[in-house]
Amino acid sequence: MSLILIVLAPFLGALLPAVMANAGRRTCALTTLTVSAVALVGLVSRVPEVLAGDMPVAQVEWMPELGLNFTLMLDGLGLFFAALILGIGCLVIIYARYYLSRDDNMGEFFTYLLLFQGAMLGIVLSDNILVLLVFWELTSLSSFLLIGYWKHLPDGRQGARMALTVTGMGGLAMIGGMLILGRIAGSYDLSVILENREAIQASPLYLPALLLILLGCFTKSAQFPFHFWLPHAMAAPTPVSAYLHSATMVKAGIFLMARLWPVLSGTEVWFYLVAGTGLVTMVIGAVVALFKDDLKALLAFSTVSQLGLITFLLGTGSAYAAVAAVFHILNHAIFKCALFMTAGIVDHEAGTRDIRRLGGLWRLMPVTFAIALISGLSLAGVPLFNGFPSKEMMLEEATHVTFFGPEWLVPALATVGALFSAAYSFRLIGHAFLGAKRDDYPAKPHDPGIGMWGPPALLCVLVLVIGILPWLAQPAVFFVAQSVLGTTADIPEGLYLKLWPGITEALMMSAISLAGGLVVLLLFRPAAWLWTAAHVPHAKSIFDGIVAGAVALSRGLTQPLHDGAFTRYAMIFAVAVAALSGHAWLTGEVGPPTREPLPMNEVAVAGWLMLVTATAAIVVFHRNRLFALILMGIVGLMVSIGFALFSAPDLAMTQISVEVVTIILLLLALNFLPDETPRESSGLRRLRDGTVAVVGGLMAAGLSYHLLLRDFVEPSISAYQLENSYKGGGGTNVVNVILVDFRGFDTFGEIIVLGIAAVVIYALTEALLSGPVRAKLLNRRPEKDLAGDMHPLMMVVLTRVIMPLVLMVGVYIFLRGHNMPGGGFIAGLIVAIGLVMQYMASGYYWAADRQRYPFHGIIGAGVLVAGITGIGAWFAGYPFLTSSYGYITIPPLEEFEWASAMGFDLGVFLAVVGAVMLSLESFARMARRRDQKDSEHAMDIDPSRKETT
Amino acid sequence: MSSADFSTILPEFLLALYALGALLFGAYAGKDRRASMLLWVTAGLFVALAFWVGVSGHAGRAAFGGLFIDDAFSRFAKVMILISAAVVLVMSEEYMSRRDLLRFEYPILVALGVIGMMVMVSAGDLMTLYMGLELQSLSLYVVASLRRNSIRSTEAGLKYFVLGALSSGLLLYGASLTYGFAGTTLFSGIIAAAGEGTISLGLLFGLVFIAAGLAFKVSAAPFHMWTPDVYEGSPTPVTAFFATAPKVAAMSLFARVLHDAFGGVVSDWQQVIAVLSVASMFLGAVAAIGQRDIKRLMAYSSINHMGFALMGLAAGTAFGVQAMLIYLAIYVTMNIGTFAFILGMEKDGKPVVEIDALNLYARNEPTRALAMLVLMFSMAGVPPLVGFFAKYYVLTAAVGADLGWLAVLGVVASAIAAYYYLRIVYLMYFGTESDALDSTSQPVLWGVLMVSALIMVVGVVNLFGIEGPAAAAASALVE
Repeated sequence: MSLILIVLAPFLGALLPAVMANAGRRTCALTTLTVSAVALVGLVSRVPEVLAGDMPVAQVEWMPELGLNFTLMLDGLGLFFAALILGIGCLVIIYARYYLSRDDNMGEFFTYLLLFQGAMLGIVLSDNILVLLVFWELTSLSSFLLIGYWKHLPDGRQGARMALTVTGMGGLAMIGGMLILGRIAGSYDLSVILENREAIQASPLYLPALLLILLGCFTKSAQFPFHFWLPHAMAAPTPVSAYLHSATMVKAGIFLMARLWPVLSGTEVWFYLVAGTGLVTMVIGAVVALFKDDLKALLAFSTVSQLGLITFLLGTGSAYAAVAAVFHILNHAIFKCALFMTAGIVDHEAGTRDIRRLGGLWRLMPVTFAIALISGLSLAGVPLFNGFPSKEMMLEEATHVTFFGPEWLVPALATVGALFSAAYSFRLIGHAFLGAKRDDYPAKPHDPGIGMWGPPALLCVLVLVIGILPWLAQPAVFFVAQSVLGTTADIPEGLYLKLWPGITEALMMSAISLAGGLVVLLLFRPAAWLWTAAHVPHAKSIFDGIVAGAVALSRGLTQPLHDGAFTRYAMIFAVAVAALSGHAWLTGEVGPPTREPLPMNEVAVAGWLMLVTATAAIVVFHRNRLFALILMGIVGLMVSIGFALFSAPDLAMTQISVEVVTIILLLLALNFLPDETPRESSGLRRLRDGTVAVVGGLMAAGLSYHLLLRDFVEPSISAYQLENSYKGGGGTNVVNVILVDFRGFDTFGEIIVLGIAAVVIYALTEALLSGPVRAKLLNRRPEKDLAGDMHPLMMVVLTRVIMPLVLMVGVYIFLRGHNMPGGGFIAGLIVAIGLVMQYMASGYYWAADRQRYPFHGIIGAGVLVAGITGIGAWFAGYPFLTSSYGYITIPPLEEFEWASAMGFDLGVFLAVVGAVMLSLESFARMARRRDQKDSEHAMDIDPSRKETT
Repeated sequence: MSSADFSTILPEFLLALYALGALLFGAYAGKDRRASMLLWVTAGLFVALAFWVGVSGHAGRAAFGGLFIDDAFSRFAKVMILISAAVVLVMSEEYMSRRDLLRFEYPILVALGVIGMMVMVSAGDLMTLYMGLELQSLSLYVVASLRRNSIRSTEAGLKYFVLGALSSGLLLYGASLTYGFAGTTLFSGIIAAAGEGTISLGLLFGLVFIAAGLAFKVSAAPFHMWTPDVYEGSPTPVTAFFATAPKVAAMSLFARVLHDAFGGVVSDWQQVIAVLSVASMFLGAVAAIGQRDIKRLMAYSSINHMGFALMGLAAGTAFGVQAMLIYLAIYVTMNIGTFAFILGMEKDGKPVVEIDALNLYARNEPTRALAMLVLMFSMAGVPPLVGFFAKYYVLTAAVGADLGWLAVLGVVASAIAAYYYLRIVYLMYFGTESDALDSTSQPVLWGVLMVSALIMVVGVVNLFGIEGPAAAAASALVE
C-alpha cells in the first residue's frame, strides 16, 4: 500500500464515523476500527522492504517553489512509531467503544480520533520537514478538539486552553527552527538534512535553529518548564488520555528529537539543554505525581516524568543511550496505555478516580487489579516487568554522565527520579486497590466486560513477555535504534538487552530506588502533610499568573503609549523620525563641503538674532495669545527679509503679503478665544516636551546646514530654469515664469483649490450661522471691555486716502511681474489687503454696502480668465496653457512686450482677491454680536454729519 | 495627452468620472435615499474594473512620460484593492443603514479613496505618488469621522488627520530632498542618479523621510499611533475598509518607491525596513494581548501583519516582493472574513465589540464559530491553513536574503501573537457563561465569512494559483 494512502486512510476514514453516527454505536466503532486496521495492514505490507534496508518514498508535488513537497518515507524509526500509533490506536478504539456512554456523540469522537491518528502518522512518516510541521500543527488542532470533547467540564476548558496555547506557540516557534535548518542544509528533505551534520553544526545559525526546534519539542512533550499543560488536559475522555500519553501526541516531541538526533545531537548545547531538561523533568514530574490524588493526574505527571527520562537519554548523545531511549519508548507506550485504561475502568465502575475514596478494590475487581498490578510494577521498574530493563539502561547511562563537575550529581538525581517513580507506582497499586474494602464507593465496583479489560490485558501480556524475555525485542529495538543513529554511530558492540545485567552500580541504584519507594509510601501521610504545607505553586496557577502577567505587561506597555493624547503621539512620531535621521546620518556618506558659507554681515546677524529671540519668546509667552501673534508677525517679517537678503524678492513679497493676510485672519479668530491659553501641563512635562522639540529643531537645523554647504545635483534644477525662462517664457522673472508658464498647470489647479477653499469657508459659515450656534455667537461677551471707538476718524480717513495708492501699487506690481519681482499673486494679495483695511476701518456694513460684485463672482471670473487663456493655446495648435509672447508698438508709447501669460496672471490675481476677501468676510460675519449695534456710518464721530435724534 | 496615455489611465479615469457623476446624482436626486443604490453600483463597478484590470495582459507601459506606470505589479495590487473595497462596501450596507450612517457620500468617498490607491500603486514619479496618497488620505480622513455625532469618531478622524498631515509633510520634505539631489522626480531618473552601492547623504535623508511617511500610511511601528484609535472610533465597516485596501495600496507603493527609485541601494534601506518590521511585529503582538475591544485588537493585529509584510519587503529581492504580495492577498482575505464576523456581533440590535461577549459563542452559532476558528488559526499562522503560507513565504524570503535574525524574531513574534488569536477561539468554545449575543441572519455577512474561511482551508492545495501572478508582478517591479 502506498505510503500516501496509509497516511490518508485515517483522514479519509474520518468522514465515515461522522456519517455513520446514526447507524448505531457498534457500526460506528467497527468502521473506525476497520480504517485503522487497514492502515496498519498497509504498513505491515511495507515492512519487508524496510527490513531489507530499503527506504520506501512517496512524493507528490505541492508547492515546489517553496521547497514544499508532499514527501513521505518509511524508515526504521518511522515504522516503529507508525506501528505504535496504529497498533495502540486499534486497542484504544475498541476500548472507547465500551467506555463512551450512550449520551456521548460517538461519531464526533471517532472522527476527531481518526483525524488525530492521521496527523500523528503524517508526522512520523514525513520526509519533508515542512510537511512534518503541517502535521505537527494538525495534531495540536485535533488534540484540542479531542481534549475539549467533553465541553461541559470546566476543567476540560482550562485544559484545552493551556494545551492549545502552549503547544500552538511551541509549534510556531518550531517553524522558524525548521526554516533555518532547511536553509543551512539547502533542502527541506529530511534525507538531505540528515546527511549534513557537519555543515549544520558549524553554522552560526545552528544555535537559534536548535533552540526554536527544541522549544517545539519540549512544549509538545511536556518537558519542564512547559510540563504544566499535560496534566490539565486530563479532563478528556480516558481513551483519549490513554492514546495521547502512550503512543502519540507527547511522543511527537520525542520522535522529532530522535529524528533529528544525527544532526543536532553531540554538541555541548544539546547535551546540557536536552539532558538537563530531561533530568529535571524526570525528578519534578515524579515528585509531583506522588502527591496527586486523582488517578489520571497521577498518571499524567508520571508521563511527564517518564518523558523526561527519555529526553535525558536522547540528550546524553551516546549510542548506548539512544538504544535505551528507543527501548523505553516502546515499554512506556505499552504499560502507560494499560494503566490509563485501568484508570478509566476504575472511574467507570467505581464512579470516582480519587485515590482517597478508593482502596480495597482488589477483591471487587480482580481482573482490573491484575492488570493494574502488572503494568504498575512495570512503571515502578520492578524486575520481570518491561519497565525494568530500560530503566536499568537509563541508570547505567546516568553513571557515565557528569554535569558541571560533581560525578555523583547525575546518578543521584536519576536515582531520586526512579525512587519517586517507584513510590507513586506503589501508591497507585497500594492506595487504590489494596487495603480494606470500603462501603462508600460512589458506585458499586465490579469488573467490566471483556471489551474494556481486553485491550489492557493484551498489553499486559506484552509487558510480561518483554519483561521476562527482553532479548525477544532486541532485533526490533536495535533496528530502530540504528535508524535513529543514522550514519553517525553504530550500536555498541556486545550490547544485549537482558533481564539480569549482573551486579552493577545501576542495579544498586535500582535497588535503592525500589526500597526507597516503599519507604516513601509507608511515610506517605507525613510526606503529604509536608507537601501541602510547603505550598508548592500549582502549575495551573503559575500558568494563570503568567497569562495575567503578560496581560498586565501588555497593558502597561500600551496604556502609556496609547493614552489617547495627541501630544504623546506627536512626540513618539518626532522621536522616531529623529532616530531614523540619526541612523541615516551615521550610515550615510558625508562628503566634504563644496560651498563656502556666505560672509556674515551685521544685517544678517541682527535678523538672525531677532528671529531666534522672537521664536524663543513665542515659546515662553505663547499663553498670551495676542502677544504671541505679534511675535509671529516678527518671525514672518524676518523670514521675508531673509528672502530679500538671499535675492529672492518675489518670495519676500509673497511672504510678506501672505503674512499680513494670515495675521489679520488670526486676529479675527482671536476674537472668539480667551486672552490667555490655560496652563495644561506640569513643569516636568514641559521640560520633556521642550527637550524633544529642541533636539528635533537642532537636528533639522543641522541637516539644513549640512545640505546647504554642499552642491545639489549637477546640472542643478535652478540652472535649467534660469536658462530657459526668457527663451521659453519671455520673462526675466524666473519665479513668475515658473508660476504662470513652466508650471502653469499647477498654478491653474492651485487657484481653483484656493477658490474652493474660500467657498467652503463661506458655506461652513453659512451653515453655522443658520444653526443653533448663531445665538451663542451673538450673545457672547468678551472678557474685556471694548475700546470705545470702533471706527476712529483718523483710521477711516487714512485708509480712504491710501486706497487709490494701494490699487495703483497693485496694478504696478501686476504689470511688472513678468520681468521683475511681482505678479498676479502678490498683486492680488496687496489689493485684498487694501480692501480689508476698508472693512476694518469703516465697519463691515459700510464696506459691504459699497461692494458691487460678489466675491464668489470674482473668484469664478479669475478661474475662467485663466482657463480661457490656457484654452487659447489650443487655437494656435499648442497644448493647453502653452504661453507665447511678442512685441507690439502702441503709437504714442514705446514698444510693449505682450505675453499670453498675462491673461493667466490676471486670472490668478482675480482669484486671489476673491478668495481672500470671501474668507475674511465670512469670518467677519461670525464676529458680530448682539450688544453691538451695526453702525450706519463709517466713523464714530463725523464732523460733517448732522446728528438727527 | 496622447491617446496611449489616455488608454493607460482609462480605468482610473472612468472611476473618477463615475465618482463625480455619482456625487452630482446623489446631491440632486434624493441624497441619502439613493445611498443604498449608489453603494451597490459602486461595488459592482469595482468588481467590473477589477476584472478588466485583471485580465488585461499588457506588458508594462507608462503614461505621461513615466508619471504613471501600468505593469503587472500595479495590476496585481489594483485587483486586490478593488475586490476588497467592493466586498467591504457590500458588507457595510446593512450595518450602516441600520445605524443611520448610510450617507450617499460614503460609497463615493470610498470610490475616491480607491482612485487614490490605484494612482498610488501606479506611481512612477514622486508627484504621482503624492497625489495618489493625498487623494486616498483625504477620503479616509472623512470616512473615519463619518459618525459625526460620536465624539470618539470625530476625535479619531481629527487625530488621524493631524498626524497624517505631519507624516505627509515629512514625506514631502523627503521628496523635495530627493528632487534636489537627484534632479528629477521620476523614479527612473532617481534610480539612475542614485546609482549602485551607496548614495549621498541628501538622497539618503530623502529616502528615509519618504520611508517614514509611508510607514505611517502602512501603520508600521513606531508610526502606528493613530491606528488603534482610528480603528476603534470609526464605524466598524469603515474599520474593515481601513484594514484592507489602503494597507495593500500603501504597502505596494512602499515597494514601488523602494525598488523603482532606490532599488540600486538596497543596503541603505534594508536595515530601516527590517527595524520597522521587527518593531511592528512585536508591538502588534505584545500590545494586543491586553485588549478587551476586538476592534482595537484588530488594529494591533494589523500592525503585526504589516510587520510581516515589511519583512518580505526588507528582503530586497524579487522573491521578497512576491512574498509580500502573497502575504497581503492572504491578509486581506482573512481580515475581510474576520470583519464579516465582527460586523455580525450584536446584542439587542446594538453592535458589540467586547471580546468577552464571545463567551461560548460556539454553543449558539456553531457554524459561524467554526469559520471564525479557522480564520483565527489562519491569522495565527498555524499550518496547514493558508495563513501559514503567508508567513512561510515572508520568512523564506527573509532567510533567503541572509536576514536569518529577522526571521527568528518574526517567528517569536508570531508565537506571541498566536496567544490572542487562540484566546478568541478558546472563549468561543470554552468560555464562561454569559449573555449570548443575538443570532444574526445577514446573508451577506454570513456568505463573506464562510467564503473567507473556506478559502483558508481549500487554498492549502495551491493558494488558488496566486503565486504565478504574484511572481510576475514582483519581477515586473524588480528586474
